[in-house]
Amino acid sequence: MTTLRELAQRFGLAIGGGARGELRTQCAPEEFLGAVTALAAEAVLADLFAVTGRGQPTLTVVFELAGDAEWLVLRTQLSGDSFPSLTPSTHVASWYEREIHEMHGLNPVGHPALARLRLHDWPVGQPPMRAALERRLDVGPGVSSPVPIVHGQGVFQLPLGPVRSGPQESGEFLFNSGGEDLVAVSQLLGFKLRVVERLAEGRTVDQGLILAERLAGVSAFSNALAFVQAVERAMAVDVGEQSRAARTLMNELERLHNHFGDISRLADATGLMVAGAQYASLKEEVLRHCAALTQHRYLRGILVVGGLQAPLPDAALRAMRRRLGDWLRRSERLERLLEDTAVFVDRVETTGVLTKEYAAPHNLVGPIGRSTGADRDCRRDHPYAGYDRVTFDVLVKSQGDALARLSVRLFEIRQSIRIIEQVLEAWPGSDVAASVSTPATGEALGWSEGAGGETLHWVALTADGRIARWRARPPAFVNWHPYAEACASGNNLTDYPVIEASFGLSHAEFDR
Amino acid sequence: MSRWIALGIRTGVRSTRYPSRPDPEAEIAPSAVTVDIAALSATQALEAADMCPTTAITAAGDRDRGSIAFDAGQCVMCGRCVRAFPAAFSYGHGPEVAVHSREALRVAAHWADGSGPAVDETAATAELQRRSQALFRRSLHVRHVDAGSCNGCESELQLLGSPQYDLHRLGLFFTPTPRHADALLVTGVVTRQMEQPLKDTYEAMPNPKLVVAAGVCAVGGGAFEGGLMVRGPLDRILPVDVYVPGCPPTPLALLHGLLLAVGRAEERYRPDGGRHGA
Repeated sequence: MTTLRELAQRFGLAIGGGARGELRTQCAPEEFLGAVTALAAEAVLADLFAVTGRGQPTLTVVFELAGDAEWLVLRTQLSGDSFPSLTPSTHVASWYEREIHEMHGLNPVGHPALARLRLHDWPVGQPPMRAALERRLDVGPGVSSPVPIVHGQGVFQLPLGPVRSGPQESGEFLFNSGGEDLVAVSQLLGFKLRVVERLAEGRTVDQGLILAERLAGVSAFSNALAFVQAVERAMAVDVGEQSRAARTLMNELERLHNHFGDISRLADATGLMVAGAQYASLKEEVLRHCAALTQHRYLRGILVVGGLQAPLPDAALRAMRRRLGDWLRRSERLERLLEDTAVFVDRVETTGVLTKEYAAPHNLVGPIGRSTGADRDCRRDHPYAGYDRVTFDVLVKSQGDALARLSVRLFEIRQSIRIIEQVLEAWPGSDVAASVSTPATGEALGWSEGAGGETLHWVALTADGRIARWRARPPAFVNWHPYAEACASGNNLTDYPVIEASFGLSHAEFDR
Repeated sequence: MSRWIALGIRTGVRSTRYPSRPDPEAEIAPSAVTVDIAALSATQALEAADMCPTTAITAAGDRDRGSIAFDAGQCVMCGRCVRAFPAAFSYGHGPEVAVHSREALRVAAHWADGSGPAVDETAATAELQRRSQALFRRSLHVRHVDAGSCNGCESELQLLGSPQYDLHRLGLFFTPTPRHADALLVTGVVTRQMEQPLKDTYEAMPNPKLVVAAGVCAVGGGAFEGGLMVRGPLDRILPVDVYVPGCPPTPLALLHGLLLAVGRAEERYRPDGGRHGA
């Protein structure tokens, strides 16, 4: 089996430096397009980001490869503000380049559709990641890209959002319909853009952690864990055994409450109110146990660089362990009932389909990726925290419809409980304090598998340990990309709530 | 379908009795921090401010002469001060943390000539307010707007509909249209790109109307104050009737905030734990 190291060598890229598990390499800007195109044909492009500020702008691409636990980090330093677009040869680069264009003011020459991705009330020529912070109040009127509309006899537009009907996140969708069918869906995202990564620059790692925990609420822990692990790897800090076990456990608790919550909303969207209430009830119970363990329902304020802010109380661990069997039994009983309910299965089967062929070039992650044949799971592919000590299975389906996404989540609920039981079975006694083992590298990747999928953060530290630059690539950034296509896969307007709930995509993670 | 109905009936009533009775199981998560500033030395006050990752605890001066302020409207409940100075900072308060005025979430103290911090009585003596909104006492229709939140507040708002909380039993309803809404509940710091949709929603609501700021982002800007595309806390944009601190506010704190807005609950929280003033 080929490894990333062999691939890099084959393309003449010299590897040097980098935190453990990271192969760092660079190339000249004129070789960049060729190198990325060649690598992306064999490996998975997991992130593409720019760093602007002092000195020349740089572009960084992160690759991973099935069966290889390492990451390949390829960087190039641009001589100006332009670079040849990767999108014509590597489709997944499209949204990354649109983001780089609007946020950093770099120009991917030859990009086929360089519309704005998240900015719609912001003037051109003031890229938010480069504009002076004090400019925020007087930048002048904004400019937005036009939203694409379908023209044709009998086709009309139906807007939804940005203020939604219930207590939901803000985002706008434009349905193009001929009556009942969804011909096409245009989305306008970015209403909640806070430029969180920019806020962290120059702050302490501890202040950055507060922001990482608030990138998104229901995935607070997985994002904070990826951030903390990036800092730990950049500073070469070793984390004690109990902290690693506790992090594994909390990562799974977060997955549980997310999956329970997502299934609850899916059941509500199909009108199955009892199922919705039962799953919401399960979510609330998990959140209460999270609160008993960490004093916070969404597991904020528990992580710290090097370990945990406080140990998890034994009494709360015992109480949670006693509930695991009950959660599993109830979830499995509900699962059987859902399978037996024809009106439910009819609503989710072949609804919101992402075909394997359409999904593949998007490098999707998490349950959405795994329901379209993408066999990726950070916990197995790049073990972190205590995942090297537990056994679990990863379900991959290929139908790509709402039912497949539901099946993957139901399967993962069982695996999460299985992982938590193994962690508690081997619960280490006293913790080993964090220790600094090797010289710091100053920058590193951190990753975790959140409920939504692979969560990738990159942190560069200054010499005095402050945040020079932080890049967050939460799973929703990747998974929003093919969303509109799934909405228009031969479904009706009334299927939209089911499609939306079955994806369960986070606006906060995407908008940032 | 009959099996679902049977399951629902068999499960029975799981709802909290709050507000008629306290609910210890739902109160596991703390809703706010309270501080006994007098339990801090001047040095500790400066350390606490240094440690606070947001602007909830701020201090100025040195050991001999200085001041400290605690603002629950900016506290993201990270727990750092509670773990470092348990004698002064605590989680002791229950879920009833919503207040009518922004000032009521602040407490400040000064020290001079080597003595410990003494609380500024003027700031701490704001009386617990009672406002009656007789118009809305029976039933309330709430229009929610996410003005730039992290989705933590929405997750808690959605759980208000779960069996454990069931907000409908209190006559509270979320409404999809601002035309039918009595109250506007806003979560998140107001971002540049959500400012106009937020204002439009407010304008579309009939008078009289109430505005509730839920979560520290809407109350004080939280961790995002000063961001490039951030307009700031809600009261910079709209008049606010009730502030619910928390990051996110717990479901019971949200219920208390809504009930306080319509005069069906009382204001109870003071950041100094009610040690000073009225």
